Amino acid sequence: MNAILTNPLRVGLRQERVISPQCIVIFGASGDLTHRKLIPALFELFRQRRLPSEFAVLGCARRPWSDEEFRSRMATALGEEVRNHQSAWEQFASCLFYEPVDLEQPEHVVRLGQRLEVIDRLKATRGNRTFYLSVSPAFYGSGCRSLAAAGLLADPSRSRVVIEKPFGRDYGSAQQLNKVVGTCAQESQIFRIDHYLGKETVQNILVLRFANAIFEPIWNRNYIANVQITAAETVGVEERAGYYESSGALRDMVQNHLTQMLALTTMEAPGRFDPEAIRNEKAKVLQAARLADEQEPWNCCVRGQYSSGGSQARPMSGYRQEPGVNTNSTTETYVAMKLFINNWRWQGVPFYLRTGKRLPKRMSEVVLTFREAPVHLFDAAGGSPTANQLILRIQPDEGAGFLFEVKAPGSGMRSRPVDMHFSYDESFGEPSDEGYVRLLADAMLGDPTLFTRSDEVEAAWRLYTPLLELIDDSPWQLPIHPYESGTWGPGASDNLLANDGLMWRRP
Amino acid sequence: MAPQLTLQAPLELPPTEVSPYLTQLWSQGLQGATGAATFTLVVWEPAWLEQHLIRTGRCDGPITGLVNEERLEAARLAVSECGLPFSTAPMAPDLAWALGQLGGEHQAQDLRGQFVSGAISAHMPRRLITLAATLADNHPLETMVAAYCPLPEEGGTGGACGDVVVLKGGMGALHQGLALISPLVGNDLPCWVWWNGSLDEAPEMLSALAPIPRRLMVDSSLGTPRRCLDLLVERIGAGQAVNDLNWLRLRSWRESLAMVFDPPGRRDALNHVVQLDIDVEGNHPVKGLLLAAWIADRLGWHLENSFVIPTGEASGDGFGAEFQRTDGESVRFRLMPVPVGVPKAHPGALVGLRLICAPAERPPLCVILCSESGGCMRLESGGMASMELAEEVVPLPNESEEMEVARLLGGGHDTTNPLLAAAVPLAAKLLAH
Repeated sequence: MNAILTNPLRVGLRQERVISPQCIVIFGASGDLTHRKLIPALFELFRQRRLPSEFAVLGCARRPWSDEEFRSRMATALGEEVRNHQSAWEQFASCLFYEPVDLEQPEHVVRLGQRLEVIDRLKATRGNRTFYLSVSPAFYGSGCRSLAAAGLLADPSRSRVVIEKPFGRDYGSAQQLNKVVGTCAQESQIFRIDHYLGKETVQNILVLRFANAIFEPIWNRNYIANVQITAAETVGVEERAGYYESSGALRDMVQNHLTQMLALTTMEAPGRFDPEAIRNEKAKVLQAARLADEQEPWNCCVRGQYSSGGSQARPMSGYRQEPGVNTNSTTETYVAMKLFINNWRWQGVPFYLRTGKRLPKRMSEVVLTFREAPVHLFDAAGGSPTANQLILRIQPDEGAGFLFEVKAPGSGMRSRPVDMHFSYDESFGEPSDEGYVRLLADAMLGDPTLFTRSDEVEAAWRLYTPLLELIDDSPWQLPIHPYESGTWGPGASDNLLANDGLMWRRP
Repeated sequence: MAPQLTLQAPLELPPTEVSPYLTQLWSQGLQGATGAATFTLVVWEPAWLEQHLIRTGRCDGPITGLVNEERLEAARLAVSECGLPFSTAPMAPDLAWALGQLGGEHQAQDLRGQFVSGAISAHMPRRLITLAATLADNHPLETMVAAYCPLPEEGGTGGACGDVVVLKGGMGALHQGLALISPLVGNDLPCWVWWNGSLDEAPEMLSALAPIPRRLMVDSSLGTPRRCLDLLVERIGAGQAVNDLNWLRLRSWRESLAMVFDPPGRRDALNHVVQLDIDVEGNHPVKGLLLAAWIADRLGWHLENSFVIPTGEASGDGFGAEFQRTDGESVRFRLMPVPVGVPKAHPGALVGLRLICAPAERPPLCVILCSESGGCMRLESGGMASMELAEEVVPLPNESEEMEVARLLGGGHDTTNPLLAAAVPLAAKLLAH
């Protein structure tokens, strides 16, 4: 049988929304994110003909590169992607420009403005600009100020700023940064990016909930017993020790990615599919979220740090042995916690969040466990019937599963659980776009739906403030539990659920 | 989005003074404002149908060049009054021609070029040049100019402005006015030419208005099918960026068909297509042929022969073809016109599509796509009981001409969409003489 791997009729149909002519300006163009994520995402958009002909990328960093050097470095970084699409790359590369800029130097920013005007004329980009701050978080505020001072953010319909995570280090600093950014540009111009929201499966949480009538009536405290949200990584800290040492898993993963999954899972239905309506609901639910024990947070949170592990053939070093990590580091690489949401829909339902590095499997999922049937009529193969579970698999094997009891074959009436399985691969067969492809396109389109609004960011930081204060002020009260690399985290994390008669789902 | 009028009443100027006036206006009169660095849009706007509907008292003025429901309703009523087949689409040039044979002297204000669709004005064209042909062939050339700055509620900050130039007159006068166009277009911004009329008319005007590298927007449902396809072939072949609104209106059909084959388990069926049937409204096959050509191109079919299928009906003849698949097997293609009571706005709208796949050792798969507004009973009939059936209803496009044009202007390309470029030559071959 001659199998067709891709759907030949699907080619060229991803053109539903048109990106206006524009220049995207990347600050931090010499950095890792630019060549690993941003330029590949823009090249993908270009190859899908989703970028207009009147388009330019202006890379900015302190290094004194020329346009040609920037193009050549990007080509090298993209490697095989460029070799596989040589002629497309040549066209795309002609849209790449570079300007040495230090955002702290006003004259550099003035020169940047002049260069942008030249590019506007050269590429007819119509003065539409997306400024992408892929720089150290310490420069977010001053970067915005410099752009505003040079008049580059003056027209809200034509200029916008994309800000990478982390947006602040805690509630206070996020508030302060929001204030600074708010004096430079309107909220509608600010796009706080969380690449998790670019994932099809994360967006699918909204569609699954609000496009199907069957889920919403049971999506509440009356039917759901508990919710687990997991984001597990197999990798260690890699080359990010400098950043990670000062952030840890709570700031790096929980405050943004896991909290966004929590918000999408628990928000009320928006009145319409409109960015502000959706973000209003997300902000509202985050404002209603609380740690399970705010007075004594150590009762509802477990921190861990990976130690060495692996096998003889493939040994894995511990966190404190990683290059760039303090040998006495108390930075958590694992965190698990229990939350409640104090509103009518969710009162009393525990939400368990966990994330960690060097866990056995790379996976992210949201698991909704339903209440048990009120009466057990049948013997269960496993002793007692398994509670129904709806599993939203964010990555990998993107899709959803529903676990429910059926009659086990045989003469008796024993029940056993089975899994009803939906897979993106099996249904659509096309790999989803990388998160940055979707988010860059949305930012250039000026669609903020998948970006975090200031009040959402603040609500997310406020939620974890008791933990952050504890970590900063009296870390011994929230001790670091070591766990062996390649295991599912410290035993204390299992106890967090065991205290409630539950256990983590083993994916 | 509501149409926008120019803020300033247009100033009527002698043709020779248009260019100097605009130069002076931008250098002195609009100090502090800069011309929007966007694009120039040249629109051929004869609006024959609207002019005749108003002249014969079927609609009230003013003449705007915009098609709306009221105009379409009046046109539908006029179809039977003109003795045309019920399947005649209201936008069909035949109807405008037939209305032209009727008496009537109603007059109305002519605001063509000043009545800009909100979707288009939102992109702030730097210069909008409209050629408004009048019914009276001897109408002298009138030229009007207005400058405008977008209002804050349109997203403007008042700094970047544009201007509007209208050339109005009989065909002869407009030909004289062509000399004005090139200096007004300039070379520093992209220029789009929207031929908002039949492709049969004024070919020399089209050539003069839309040389390469100007980007051309046409509608291949307006004009004789042969002329429409030949023009697309010629222009795309010459390397021009061509956008066909008729092709864009195929989007929902292409999406619906692609959706059927998204599950990988279905994809192999695409290797085993044995029959493709398409039904279209009335006697304009171009849209159906473009769809067939797109499918054939995407699946790598080779055209063996094409032929006309005489029907003897007023709705026109059908077209047939034999393709060879990549594995050497044959695919039978038929496109048939079907009469409809309430045709859609444009000639040749799709009614239904049937694709039959016969994989070895598996039950055949029959895919039927039906238009939302009509049935496809003809395609549902006969011999499908043993087949796996995938039936979808294709939603009607809900966007106006101007919205489609605005999408193109909002983020266009300087090359033709490769899928259209591949489909057009094949569609032209399918249109057998």
